[in-house]
Amino acid sequence: MKRRDFLKVAGATAMAVGPFAHARPAKADKGELVVVSWGGSLAKAQRKAFFEEFEKQSGYTIKEDTPPAPAKIKAMVESGNVTWDVIETDMAAILGLVKDKLLEPIDYSKIDKAILDNIAAPIKHPNAVGSRVWSFNIVYNTKAFPTGQHPKSWADVWDGKKFPGGRTLNFGGGVAPQLEVALLADGVPRDKLYPIDTERAWKSMSRVRPYVTKWYSSHSEAIQLITAGEAAVSCTIGPRATAAKREGAPVDVDYHEGKLGADHWCLIKGLRNRELAMQFINFALAPQRQAILSREVPYGPSNRKAFDQMSAKDAKDLTSYPDNEKLQFWWDVKWWGEIGSDGKTNREREAERYAAWMLNTK
Amino acid sequence: MRRYWTSRDGVLVLPALALFAAVYLYPLSRLGLLSLFDPTFTVKHYRVLFREPAYLTALENTLTLSVSVTAIALALAYPLAYLMTTVSARTRSILTAFVLVPFWTSILVRTFAWLVILGKNGLVNQTLLALGVVTAPVPLIHNQVGVEIGMVHVLLPFMVLPLYSVMAGIDTNLLNAARSLGAPPIQVFLRVFFPLSLPGVHAGCLLVFLSAVGYYITPALLGGPRQITIAMLIDLVVNDLLNWGFGATLAILLLTAVIVLLVVLTSALGLGRMLRPTGAL
Repeated sequence: MKRRDFLKVAGATAMAVGPFAHARPAKADKGELVVVSWGGSLAKAQRKAFFEEFEKQSGYTIKEDTPPAPAKIKAMVESGNVTWDVIETDMAAILGLVKDKLLEPIDYSKIDKAILDNIAAPIKHPNAVGSRVWSFNIVYNTKAFPTGQHPKSWADVWDGKKFPGGRTLNFGGGVAPQLEVALLADGVPRDKLYPIDTERAWKSMSRVRPYVTKWYSSHSEAIQLITAGEAAVSCTIGPRATAAKREGAPVDVDYHEGKLGADHWCLIKGLRNRELAMQFINFALAPQRQAILSREVPYGPSNRKAFDQMSAKDAKDLTSYPDNEKLQFWWDVKWWGEIGSDGKTNREREAERYAAWMLNTK
Repeated sequence: MRRYWTSRDGVLVLPALALFAAVYLYPLSRLGLLSLFDPTFTVKHYRVLFREPAYLTALENTLTLSVSVTAIALALAYPLAYLMTTVSARTRSILTAFVLVPFWTSILVRTFAWLVILGKNGLVNQTLLALGVVTAPVPLIHNQVGVEIGMVHVLLPFMVLPLYSVMAGIDTNLLNAARSLGAPPIQVFLRVFFPLSLPGVHAGCLLVFLSAVGYYITPALLGGPRQITIAMLIDLVVNDLLNWGFGATLAILLLTAVIVLLVVLTSALGLGRMLRPTGAL
């Protein structure tokens, strides 16, 4: 499988997906709403938490599609053949989509005030509203480090002598380089991370480099590397480690100095039914719906009220649970989205630098 | 001399040409334009390409990896294809099945299987440790070795099949004639069999090399930072950074490099012979 997504997208999506997307008649009477997310076990949980009940209450059918690839969204909007409505994706992707004007603004007047008040400020963006919370955490193999003797800060993760064993950090895969984590490892306090001192951060990245045995390209790969003992510790998505731990894998997560982020609901430019899409988003942000999702997959609810609907044991496992949240910091989307004098966002510039850094320094 | 082309042949080839133009030449020219217009004419993408050595390093990684994979595949496939021409029809069909089975498995599944087999706690290392051959696990993945194993496995059929089809067509009377004239086995091979098998070698190497330069999944999963290929960068630039102009530029760079390399090899090694009709084929 060679991922020539480029040609595939430019040619196939624009021409093929468009005309055939409506070929199948909708089940319900009123019509359909196309919701795009990541598929897999998440899709099953979303169907249980949101889609089934929304279909029942609204009379519309929810059609699922996957994955929310930015290139696909771009091809769809630019070809004028928009067949998606609501998209759930991460902020890294959203920053690119906002820059290219591929998203509609979120109509916050259509979201209940009681809901809005319980969503953290950093995940209320003009073009996107937080749907579920995840975080980049210290994820470790419990055979390499018994819990208690594991790395508890990024400085520990950077210290290959005190905590021997391979590291695995992300490269590509939709995420910006972990410059905040590099700064924390270098001794910068959590509240002084932004604006990011990029020179200092890259210097710190070079210090951990000798201990990195694999730069992973997807978060499932990171969990697999830690589970198999290929690497001892990683900076990857905590909730995925929690899910693996529940299945008996020898992994655990430490929330200290974690970077909180979220997947967000957003609206594709030129969607067919804006009103209905906002109605769905409002429905999916309700605490009882979010509590169902978090029971199925251990992501944090974006609506804090959802914790009231869970058992204390379930709640404590989640990254946005207040006791866990206070150990972490929120990813500052604003800084990463700022456009510099070169016309690039900070994310674009640092991601390009990442590729160069990886290839030039051998 | 026989004429190979008649006007009637020309008409018959038209549908294929039209298809080729529509699904290959047209998108390719769009790609070329995408790298030069953003939105008005600009060479800024090409300037970035040559100012930043990282992209040429990735090109070098891609080409050296493809060459080594092609060479290893040839070394493994040649004796195997030869064996297939000497055994009974029954054994041959079993060998062919062994060559083809991996063909029908998803490349992702095959690559993940290698992770399990070659990993630090994988089958190979566990066996080596148990036998006392090594005292610590040997790094077999996340490096050049891992990518080579994974890619050779995936691409081997592309080498074996053209080699076998050419070798099967070699007239055994020629080999017998050489032997009857007193040539020792090594001479029979070097001066008769090997030259006659060259069209298969050329075809197999071309197929494997051209497939290898576009590889993405296997180097991403089995490789380390030194195995970052152009295809991986194109993925990053197109899918994550949405910079299609620069993605197109990287694609054009790879295409140009491969064309130049093939032209040079064709004239240097006389590869052009296989494109001419010969009596042997």
